[in-house]
Amino acid sequence: MTISKTISKIMDVEFGANLPAFEPDTSLEIVKTFATLIGWDGARFRDHEAARKEGLAGAMVPGVLSQGYLVAMIHQWAPMAEIKAIDTVFRAPVIADEPHSITGVVTDINEDEGLVEIDLTVANEKGETRVFGTASVSLPA
Amino acid sequence: MILDLHTHSIKSDDGRAKVENYCQWIRSKNLPVDGFVLTEHRQFDVDSDYSTLASKFDLVIMKASEVETEYGHVLVYGVSASLTKAFDFASINLSLEMVVETSDQHGAVAVPCHPGRKRVGMFAHTEELGVPKGVKIVEIYNGGSRDNEDQIAIKNAKAFGYLGIGGSDSHIVSHVGRCGTKFPAKIANMDELVEALKSEEFKAISFKH
Repeated sequence: MTISKTISKIMDVEFGANLPAFEPDTSLEIVKTFATLIGWDGARFRDHEAARKEGLAGAMVPGVLSQGYLVAMIHQWAPMAEIKAIDTVFRAPVIADEPHSITGVVTDINEDEGLVEIDLTVANEKGETRVFGTASVSLPA
Repeated sequence: MILDLHTHSIKSDDGRAKVENYCQWIRSKNLPVDGFVLTEHRQFDVDSDYSTLASKFDLVIMKASEVETEYGHVLVYGVSASLTKAFDFASINLSLEMVVETSDQHGAVAVPCHPGRKRVGMFAHTEELGVPKGVKIVEIYNGGSRDNEDQIAIKNAKAFGYLGIGGSDSHIVSHVGRCGTKFPAKIANMDELVEALKSEEFKAISFKH
């Protein structure tokens, strides 16, 4: 498995290369803080028991926070990258206090336009995909 | 040969993969699949022609459909022009028995997919709606399965005497080839795939983990 080091130019990007793995902080404390900051008062983002009463497996990480982690992962890999788009499909809740990992792989390179396409997957410890998506990233020539 | 019988491209509303990138991925990662079937949601993609890509990457690329019934989602292999007129592929309320029977009448094969999944899987509905008539094959390995969905599919397929296929249900490039179906002979086109499914000589395979 090829794991890309930090990237600064599109010419350094390889098709199929894995971005460095990223472990998002899914702790309930962070989730609660984030929910407060963005004004989401729902109990499902604050309390495991209350979330279970709503039929969830536990308090959930807001989708927009997961997207933030995806962006952070990309910038950890390519600090100079301009993220043109992040497109996510939320398949199942990301549960707070449960370890998750984010993986990313390069699936398309358009050197003429300076664009790189990245597959992104948020998975839990069992390897089950919770969120997947793609990012379109602009990198300098 | 091994075919991934369940994939989606950007032609599906939730698909994010370009077909050429699937091909590049399979070859660059040396995945043990010889081809894949594009099963776009609620449609049959008449227009796309992937023959040039198939030749360039030496892969078999076929087109099928994934439609929606009261029992959940169903893959349909061997879609013809006449079959697309026989029922509304875009509907989310089709009758599974109708899809199975009509597909059979038009020389196609209908296969309920991810049957162990809540809401959109067949076995989530058999207790309430009964065991549907006509089903012979179900998808027992699905690359997007969570929890024990594959185990529920396998257990029930065995209980009801269904054969099993495998497919990745990929929506992004890097998920293609997670599951597949192994056939004893070479399959070059959809007619041969339908024939192979009807011959009942195949085996579902999972490459997950």
